[in-house]
Amino acid sequence: MFDLISIAHAATEAAQTEAQSGGVLGTLGINWKLFVAQLVNFSVVMWVLWKFVFGPVGKKLEERRLKIDKALKDAQDVEKQKTEFEAWREEEMRKTRTQAAEALTAAQKEAGQLREKLLAETKTEQEKLGRQAQEQIKAEQQKSVLEIKSQIGDLVILATEKILKEKLDNKRDQELVKKAIDTLK
Amino acid sequence: MYLVLPPLAAETMFNVGSLPVTNSYINTTITVLGFALVGFFVSRAAKKYYAKAVSPAGFLNFVESVVEVMLEYCDQVTRDRKKSLQFLPIAGSLFLFILVSNWMGLIPGTGSIGIWHLVHGEKELVPLFRPGNTDLNMTVAMAVLAVVSSHLLGIMTIGFFKYLNKFIKLGDLYHALISLNPVKILTAVIEFFVGLIEIFSEIAKMVSLSLRLYGNIFAGEVLLTVLASLIAFFVPLPFMALEILVGLIQAVVFAMLTLVYLNMATMDHGGHGEAEQAH
Repeated sequence: MFDLISIAHAATEAAQTEAQSGGVLGTLGINWKLFVAQLVNFSVVMWVLWKFVFGPVGKKLEERRLKIDKALKDAQDVEKQKTEFEAWREEEMRKTRTQAAEALTAAQKEAGQLREKLLAETKTEQEKLGRQAQEQIKAEQQKSVLEIKSQIGDLVILATEKILKEKLDNKRDQELVKKAIDTLK
Repeated sequence: MYLVLPPLAAETMFNVGSLPVTNSYINTTITVLGFALVGFFVSRAAKKYYAKAVSPAGFLNFVESVVEVMLEYCDQVTRDRKKSLQFLPIAGSLFLFILVSNWMGLIPGTGSIGIWHLVHGEKELVPLFRPGNTDLNMTVAMAVLAVVSSHLLGIMTIGFFKYLNKFIKLGDLYHALISLNPVKILTAVIEFFVGLIEIFSEIAKMVSLSLRLYGNIFAGEVLLTVLASLIAFFVPLPFMALEILVGLIQAVVFAMLTLVYLNMATMDHGGHGEAEQAH
């Protein structure tokens, strides 16, 4: 109880002292010199924090943020480029493979055609050669038959001649035989 | 039992020249020295780490995290990192200074360590330390600085005449008169008087900023004194916890409002732009 009374007493006392000081601003303790002094105090705090804390640290934080942003963007770009390159490579590989397959089929087809052509050519060549050989043989045969024929004719003529000559010169033969005997004796 | 409520005004301890050094002023000066020390250490750490392009460690890391959080808060108001970096030194300094000043008032010894002075014929214990923000001079100084810097930044950002047009809307009035549209002229006349009212609102800003902070912190100080003189042990503890919260909240409110004022002052959308679009 005593406490409350003393508080009330203190409050009224405080109010009385304030009333005595005069003026609202005076009651609240406004004093232009103190105001300037406090302004200077706070200005010093602001200057110090600006110059040494918020200025450099803020700048650094901003720099770092931009740097991180840039690094992240760069990484993203690289990733994108990689995917693009991968897709491009895949596409190229596919293209190359199709081209190779096409080339292979074409080559096979061409080779087949070539083989057939060659075979056909060889066959005709063979046939031609065979025909030629047969013709040659035939010609040879005819030629030799003719030759034989002429030779036989000659022989017959010779033989006939000889036989005829023998018959005509029989006397002569006898003389020859006689001569031979005489010499033996 | 002897009870003295802290008076509305800070008590003068001694005079330096013609400057009355009050107990609040002593507290403020100690805070200033503390911040100077912080500035010194941060600048030393910055030299050590930033100059060599090494990742920061220890104290500087802590400072960076605090600055980061504050920047994010600024971003919520400004929605622009450049503006945030511009406003942070003002709003951030206000926040930190008010917060430290408020919490310093909760340190044992504030209000209890004192010198016996003769006040109004009675011997009274005049405390040597009194929270900085229980002196209206301090809060008014900060409010004036905040509002004036918002005007200066506004002029620097959008130009003197454009900024002036926010309060004395002669430009808009002229554009409306040229358009010869009676509705537009009427609107412009009304806007002109609204602009004049804006000037008073600027004064109201300073008054509300300073009195809000002063009132809250002073009330907290009185509450703690009364409670401590009623029951000295344990009972004041929850109230002290509340005072920690109040100290934080008031610092946030002051800094946020300043940030909003700064943001509004540097924004460039008045009737002028709309009038030009309408042409």
